[in-house]
Amino acid sequence: MTDSPDERGAELRDLFFETSQELLQALNEEALKLEKTPGDEEIVRVIRRTVHTLKGDAAACGLRELSELAHQFEDALSLEGAATQAAVAEIAFAAADVFVEMIAAYRSGGKLPSTRSLSKKINDLTAVPAAAKARRTKKTVGKAPAAKTSAARASAKAAALWTEYEKLAMTKAQAAGLAVYHVVVKIDPHCAMPIAGRQLIYNALGGVGQVLAVRPDAKSPAATKQVEFVLATAQTVEQIAAKGRIPTISEEVTVEMMFAPSPAPKQPAEETGFTPETAAEDLLEVEASVVPPLPIAAPGLDPAGTHAVQENILRVEAGRIDNVLNLVGELIIGKSMLQQALIEFSKRYPKELLRSKFADAIAFQARVLNDLQRSVMKIRMVPVEQLFRRFPRMVRDVSRQCGRQVELVVSGHDTDLDKGILDAIGEPLTHLVRNAVSHGIETPEERRKSGKSPQGTIRLNAYHHGNQVVVEVSDDGHGIDAQKIRAKAIELGMTTPEEASRLTEAETLDFIFRPGFSTAEQVTEVSGRGVGMDVVQSVLHRLKASISVETHPGKGTTFRLKLPLTLAIIKALLFWVEQRLYAIPLNAVMEISRTFESEVHQVDNYEVLQLRNQVLPLLRLGRPVPDGDARRSKLFVLVIMVGERKYGLLVDALEGEEELVIKALDDQTFVTDLVSGASILGDGRVVLILNLPAVVEHVARWRPQQTGQSNSGLLLTPMDRVRLALSTNAGGQA
Amino acid sequence: MEQFAPVKRSKDGQPVRYLIVDDSVFARKNLARMIETFGGQVAAEAGDGLTAISEFDRTHPDIVLMDITMPQMEGIEAAERIVQAHPEARIVMVSSVGYQENIVAALQRGARHFVQKPVKPEVLYEVIKYVLGEDGSVAVAAGAGV
Repeated sequence: MTDSPDERGAELRDLFFETSQELLQALNEEALKLEKTPGDEEIVRVIRRTVHTLKGDAAACGLRELSELAHQFEDALSLEGAATQAAVAEIAFAAADVFVEMIAAYRSGGKLPSTRSLSKKINDLTAVPAAAKARRTKKTVGKAPAAKTSAARASAKAAALWTEYEKLAMTKAQAAGLAVYHVVVKIDPHCAMPIAGRQLIYNALGGVGQVLAVRPDAKSPAATKQVEFVLATAQTVEQIAAKGRIPTISEEVTVEMMFAPSPAPKQPAEETGFTPETAAEDLLEVEASVVPPLPIAAPGLDPAGTHAVQENILRVEAGRIDNVLNLVGELIIGKSMLQQALIEFSKRYPKELLRSKFADAIAFQARVLNDLQRSVMKIRMVPVEQLFRRFPRMVRDVSRQCGRQVELVVSGHDTDLDKGILDAIGEPLTHLVRNAVSHGIETPEERRKSGKSPQGTIRLNAYHHGNQVVVEVSDDGHGIDAQKIRAKAIELGMTTPEEASRLTEAETLDFIFRPGFSTAEQVTEVSGRGVGMDVVQSVLHRLKASISVETHPGKGTTFRLKLPLTLAIIKALLFWVEQRLYAIPLNAVMEISRTFESEVHQVDNYEVLQLRNQVLPLLRLGRPVPDGDARRSKLFVLVIMVGERKYGLLVDALEGEEELVIKALDDQTFVTDLVSGASILGDGRVVLILNLPAVVEHVARWRPQQTGQSNSGLLLTPMDRVRLALSTNAGGQA
Repeated sequence: MEQFAPVKRSKDGQPVRYLIVDDSVFARKNLARMIETFGGQVAAEAGDGLTAISEFDRTHPDIVLMDITMPQMEGIEAAERIVQAHPEARIVMVSSVGYQENIVAALQRGARHFVQKPVKPEVLYEVIKYVLGEDGSVAVAAGAGV
């Protein structure tokens, strides 16, 4: 621990900022529950505990304002009668929001938000049960049994005067051969918890000997400056004083001997029946019976139930894992280099026995590497629940704002997803859910008119599908009217009426993802979709993910996000187009087929291919072949699935499949979104990984406008730029 | 960060071993750091009372730092159960000012001491020395921080 206090403080704060997110999330969740079952005391207890932890953590970081506000809220919640108020949930929401703002302000060093309105709400909460509190205090005091504690009940003012009972006990102790001491412990005025401090003094000195008398007694509610004891003990003054010197609590300890031990022989305790022992025991008994009932939560009631597991969780900065993953990536490249070298070696020395040894070693290394890669990937995997958790609160807020009644049903929250992807889809998903509430679901009246229940349902679902994770947002609202989208698209000049009439419904719906579709004017009239949909789309492109819409007028809409399991390493199919090597994710490839140029037909400026009984739209990466002999040349067609639709990708030759480590390409090098990354093969060659959703979209967007042109190959313009960039950049590496 | 003369166990001169119980990861880490500066060692951590009991049985720490409000089982009950099974257990309650009544209850049930949140290292250090009493000794070696 050589950190400077500053560094340590900063580190602590970071830790706090991170852990507080969970607390605030829990606060929101409990508030939602409380809203459903108002007055549930167990939930209020959980809320209070959460606020309490937040308070403690904030205080430890020196975030005074946050700590104080949390303290105020916690105090209010601990009042009897506060829990039953309906306003608690509302205040908890407000508090969560203010806390979030405050933490953000601490984080950025910005100005703290005003807490006045929240403070006022909390005060209102306390105003009602104030009377109840008074009653409770009285009850606690009144509980002290009147009998047996005559000694202890004497007021503090009469400290010097011991009761007859106590005096008798002192004589007995003396007769038993013990010294009797008068001990005064002054309580440190800085001690924040004097009553607890007093208890500690009782404990400490009670262990020294028999407590014959004590002022004030344990039940006294008033804070006192000192505690007086009469003790019977065989220990020395110094030993007693040492026990009384309790750090942070006692300020000063004075010990005086009242009676030296009597030289008289020790009497058996039983004889008198009233020995100091029994007296002390009585006192103890009384104390024990006075302990107020404690608010101990019953075990197993914690609804989250996750705390027991948390113990084995290690918090690691994501960047460190990324580093490991990068290194694994390099190792995989190393692996292919070795394999490449082995192949060459085998060719050159086919008889060499060492060959098989190399092969074995490489196979072993490859296996371990595989496991290593899988393990590292697993580290990066987090359940989508982390993301889904924020939605219940959001749906509640948005539905209130727009006067909708919405129930959110979440399923598949334990589906694992790469942390990077999870973080990236947070924003788009929020968009989709928000839209579903505000535009997808109808108002209660509209719903009633169309014979639905006034409460709409939004479903969030996640599941694995092959090598992908699918996240769905569906609503049971009025759906999207394709006609209106069509009309709007024509109005915006994105398509012509003639073309629009030929578009399938799915193609029509794709317009909502186009940039500019929503910006022209408020789209609410066009069923409201499209607000920021192009943003959603662009984020998903970056992730090599796709989005599709399924809508049924009057029944609802489902947005389906298909996400790759991971961003860093993919299984890819490598192929050649015009002497260039490209790759696409293997999971997008449905089928590989062969055909001839002559089989390619033109329909509406689109190239299509009849494959068995279906017509495939084609994507051509290279330049189209001129008529003539070339028309007879052979082609490979990769049947790929993007979103919900199939396309045929025309390629010249296939190279094979390989595990690729994706190297991100910076924006300066690449101005196109058609390529999602590059990778280095074992022999040092560079391969470009195509971003299929973008390629498909490129076709959909540009081809209709190229009417009449002898089209010049889809990738020509942007890809040439890519090639240029690569030949200058990667040339050196290769 | 302040430097403290390390407190060791008198019987074998080994570092004092701690069990830290708090439902806040943050609070646990914070305490763990302080303990390290006292030359102590974190034997185990627990986020709730039930785990605290099982971790105590497993590791037999010299000192337990116990939060009060926790899920599953609160600190007071956990402290009580630990002390019932192991009367020699040294439990220090760690809690905020507002929980005075609970601390009193915990002290009545066998907790040895308490510290107030936010915990100040110098206070915790003194409390630990006090609670260890004869069983702890402060190394005199000058400059032996950490």
